[in-house]
Amino acid sequence: MNRAILRISLACLAMFVLLLLNINYVQAFESNSLASQPGNIRVFDQQFKYQRGSIVADGDNTNLKIAESVQRGGAYHRYYPYGPEYAAITGYDSIYGQSGIEQAENKELAGTDPRLAVRNLTSLLTGKSKQGATVALTISPTAQNAAYQALLNDGGHPAAVVALNPETGAILAMASIPTYNPNELTTFNGAQLDKVDNELLRDPSQPLLNRAINATFPPGSSFKIVTSSAAFSQGLVANPNTNIPAPTVLTLPNGNLLHNDGDIACFNGDPTITEAFYLSCNTAFAKLGIKLTAPVLRNQSSLFGMNRSLNIPLSVSPSVLPTGNDWTDPSLTAFSAIGQYNDEVSPLQEAMFSAAIENGGKLMTPYMVQEVIDPADLSVIQSQSPSVLSQAVSPQVAGDVKSMMLQVTQNPGGTAYQTAGPPATSIVIYGKTGTAENGLTPTQSPDDAVFSCFVPAGESGAPDPIAVGVIVQGGGFGADAAAPIAVQIIKAYEARS
Amino acid sequence: MLVFALAVVLIAYAAASLGLSGKLDGLPLYIGVYVLLMLGAHAAVRRFAPHADPLLLPLAALLNGLGIVMIWRLAESGRNGNPGNQISGLASSAASMQVLWTGAGVIALVLVLAFIREARVLQRYTYTLGAVGLALLAIPAVLPDSMSYVNGAKVWIIIGGFSVEPGEFARLALAVFFAGYLVAKRDVLALAGNRFLGIDLPRPRDLGPVLITWAASLLILIFETDIGTSALFFGMFVAMIYIATQRTSWLLIGVLLFLGGTFITANLFQHVMERFTGWLHPFAHATGSGYQLVQGLEGMAFGGIFGTGLGQGQPYYTPLVQSDFIFSAFGEELGLVGVMALLLIFGLLVQRGLRAALQVKDPFSKLLAAGLSFVLALQVFVIVGGVTRLIPLTGITTPFLSEGGSSLVASWILVGLLIRVSDSARKPAPQPIQDEGMTQVVRAG
Repeated sequence: MNRAILRISLACLAMFVLLLLNINYVQAFESNSLASQPGNIRVFDQQFKYQRGSIVADGDNTNLKIAESVQRGGAYHRYYPYGPEYAAITGYDSIYGQSGIEQAENKELAGTDPRLAVRNLTSLLTGKSKQGATVALTISPTAQNAAYQALLNDGGHPAAVVALNPETGAILAMASIPTYNPNELTTFNGAQLDKVDNELLRDPSQPLLNRAINATFPPGSSFKIVTSSAAFSQGLVANPNTNIPAPTVLTLPNGNLLHNDGDIACFNGDPTITEAFYLSCNTAFAKLGIKLTAPVLRNQSSLFGMNRSLNIPLSVSPSVLPTGNDWTDPSLTAFSAIGQYNDEVSPLQEAMFSAAIENGGKLMTPYMVQEVIDPADLSVIQSQSPSVLSQAVSPQVAGDVKSMMLQVTQNPGGTAYQTAGPPATSIVIYGKTGTAENGLTPTQSPDDAVFSCFVPAGESGAPDPIAVGVIVQGGGFGADAAAPIAVQIIKAYEARS
Repeated sequence: MLVFALAVVLIAYAAASLGLSGKLDGLPLYIGVYVLLMLGAHAAVRRFAPHADPLLLPLAALLNGLGIVMIWRLAESGRNGNPGNQISGLASSAASMQVLWTGAGVIALVLVLAFIREARVLQRYTYTLGAVGLALLAIPAVLPDSMSYVNGAKVWIIIGGFSVEPGEFARLALAVFFAGYLVAKRDVLALAGNRFLGIDLPRPRDLGPVLITWAASLLILIFETDIGTSALFFGMFVAMIYIATQRTSWLLIGVLLFLGGTFITANLFQHVMERFTGWLHPFAHATGSGYQLVQGLEGMAFGGIFGTGLGQGQPYYTPLVQSDFIFSAFGEELGLVGVMALLLIFGLLVQRGLRAALQVKDPFSKLLAAGLSFVLALQVFVIVGGVTRLIPLTGITTPFLSEGGSSLVASWILVGLLIRVSDSARKPAPQPIQDEGMTQVVRAG
C-alpha cells in the first residue's frame, strides 16, 4: 500500500502547489487589475481614509490652495475654497468619480502613484498616516480671478477663456461658464449626489462642460493668422506690405458668392495684406486659401497644434480642419481659409495661435501641472520643464504676422482698436478678432465672438508675456464681446506685483 | 515547538489589537484559556501517545490559535469603537465561543488518545461507524428546513439555537468505515475484470460499493445542496480504495463518476449551475451571485504581498468571512506571505499524517491515516481553491480556522487519530519476550 500512499502524497503536494501558485497569481500579479475593478469597495474606502493631496495654484509662487481634504467626522472630505472659479481646472472628486485635475492627477493626489510607494512604506513603519501628493499648477490666481470675473460679466453667454505663457506653454488661467460648484459633488450621501449630478447633467446649459478645452467652435476670422502664416511661408505673399486682390464679392469656382462682413469694400480692392488683415477682409484671405490649397492650409494648421490630441494633462478635444468629402474643393477651401466651413477650434487653440507668433514661431506644449510635491519632506517627485510642440512658422514669418496683429489693435481702422487698442488700455496688445457664423441664423443666435491675442514680454511696460484665447458663444462681434475679456485678464496679470 | 506556536499566536493577537484600536488591551481571558488548553493537550499527548510525531499538535495548535485571533478581530469589527462594520451572523462573543469549542476539541482529542490506545481497535466498529456516518449525513436531509437550512445549504441539525454540522463527524466515521471495509475486501476489489484501453477494470460485481457511495454523495448534493461535502466524501472514498487496491482503474472510475454526477446535477439544479457561472464570470455578477467571491478576491488583492496588517484591513466587506471566507481575511490582512505560511502549515500537517501512514505497519491504521490526511488536504484544497477562484466555490469550512464548533471538534478528533497512528508507528519495537497478544503486532502488516 505504501506505493499508493506515496502517489496520494504526490497528489496532496500537487494540490498545495496549485494553491500556492494561485494565491501568488491573485495577490501579486492580478492585484492591480482587481484593484481597478469597478466598484472595488476597499479601494473606494481608501480615498476617504487618507488625506488626499491638495491642488494649489502656484503660477506666481502664490501656493494658493484651490482643492484640499479636510477631516470631518473621521473621514476626509474634499473642499474647494474657491468653488466655481476654479471648477474648470480642479474638476471634482466625488464618490462616483472624478474630473479635471482630480481625475488626471488622481494617482498622485491619492498617493497610489508608484513614485510615492517608498514613502508610503516608510510612513507605514513610522506610523504616520498615508497622504497624497500636492499638485502644484501653473495657474496664476490673479489671471484666473480676472478671467472668471470677466466671463461672469459677459452678458450671460456661454464662454471660455485660456491664458498661457507663450514662452513656456504654462497655462495661467482657464475658465468656462456656465459652470458649477464642485463642493456640491463632494457629499458622501449617494442620494444627494445623484440628485445634484442629475441636475447638472440635465441642465441644457451644460455646466459640467469645460468649454475652454472640450468644446470647439468655428474660429472665424481669427483663422486668418493661420492662412497668412501659410501664405508667407509658401512665398505666396512676399511681406506684410505686399498687395493682394480683395474684391467686395468673390465668385467662387462653383459659382457661389463669398462676401466681406457687411459687404464692405476692402480699400480699393487691392489692399496690402496688412490692411486686409486688420480690416478682416474675407475675400482677400479666401482667395489666398484657394491658391494655397486645402492640404497646405491643413498642414499649417497642424503646425499650430491643430488636428491632434493633447493632454495638459486634462484631455483636450482636438481642434480640427477636417478632411472629409470634397475637402479639397477650392470653393470649400475658400471658406476654410477664413475659419468657416468645417473648421473647429477650442479657446485653448486660439491662445496657441497667438502664443506661437509671440514666441518667434515656436509653439510650446501647453501644460498646467508644474510640480508634484511629496507632502512629507516637500521633495519634488515630478517637475515639468517647457517643451516645444512644433515650429509653427519661421521667426521671419512670425515677425510678419506679429506686425499685422499689431495693426488690429493699434491702427484706428483695426477691428479691435476701440476695445483692445489705446482707447481701452495702454498695454500694446497684438490680436486678431473673429466673428464666426455658427450655423444658426442670426435670429436664433448671433455669431460667435472670438479673440486671439498676446502681449510680448517687456514691451509697453508689460513685465510678462501672455497669450489669450477667448470664445463667447453667440456673443456677436469678436471685438465687442471677446476682446474686452482678454483685455481685463491682461491688465490684471500685468499689474500684479 | 508548542511554545513557539503559542508565541506566534500571542504576537498575532497583539498585532490585531494594535491594528484595531492602536493600543494593547491586555490579554483577554480567552487567550489565556487557549494557552492552558494547548498545554493540557500537550500533557495528554505526552501521557497517552509519548512516541507520537512531535509536530502534529503544535501545527494544529498554531492553526487553531490564529483562527481564534482572526475571529476575535472580525467580531471586534464595528464593535467597541473599532473601525469597520459589524459582520452579519458573527456575535460579539464569537471568539469566546471559539475558545469554548477549542476546549471541546481538546477534550475530544484527549478522549480519543485515552480510549483508543491502538487505532485498529476501531476496526471492530467498522459497520457500526459506517451506519452512524451515513445516518449523520442523512439527518439534515430528512429534517424540516427550519431545523437544517442555513445560508443555502441544508447540512445542519439545529435544536434550540444550538447547531451541529453532522457532516463533519460523518466524514470521520466514514473514514473508519472505509478503512475497515477496504482492508477486509481489498483482495476482492483488486481482482481484475475486463481490460479496456490498457487498464484492468474491476469486475462489475465489485463496483457495488463504489456506486453506492457515488449515489450517496449525489444524494447529499441534491438534498442538502452541498457540493463541498459530497466532493470530500467521494474524494476520500476514491483515494482510500485506490490505496487499498493499488488499481489505477478505481481512480479513473471515481473521477469519471464524480465528473458525470456533477455535470448532470449542474444541468438539473439551478444552484449548482450558479456556482459554475459564479466561478467562471464572477465579475459579470459582481453585485449578485459573484459578490462574495469578488469581495474575497478584491480583499486578497488589496492585501497584496505583505497584507494590510491584522486589524487594519476591511475583511468585513466579504459576506461569511468568519467561516467559508476566513482564508481571504488572512490573505487581506497578512498578505501573500501570511497565507503562504498558512498553506505550508496545512501542508506540513498533511505530510506528517501521510508519513505516519507510511510508517505504521497495521494496514487498517495505514489506510485510516492516509485517508484522513488526504481528506484534510482535499478540504483545504476545495475551500482555499474555491475562495481564490482556482475551482468553483463550495461552502465548506477551513479546518481549524473557520468559526464553528463542529468543524473544530472534528478537526481535533482527526488530529487525535493521526497522533494515535503516528504513536503506533514510532513506538519502539516490542521486546522479544512478550505475552502472546503482542506477537500479533509483529505479524500484522
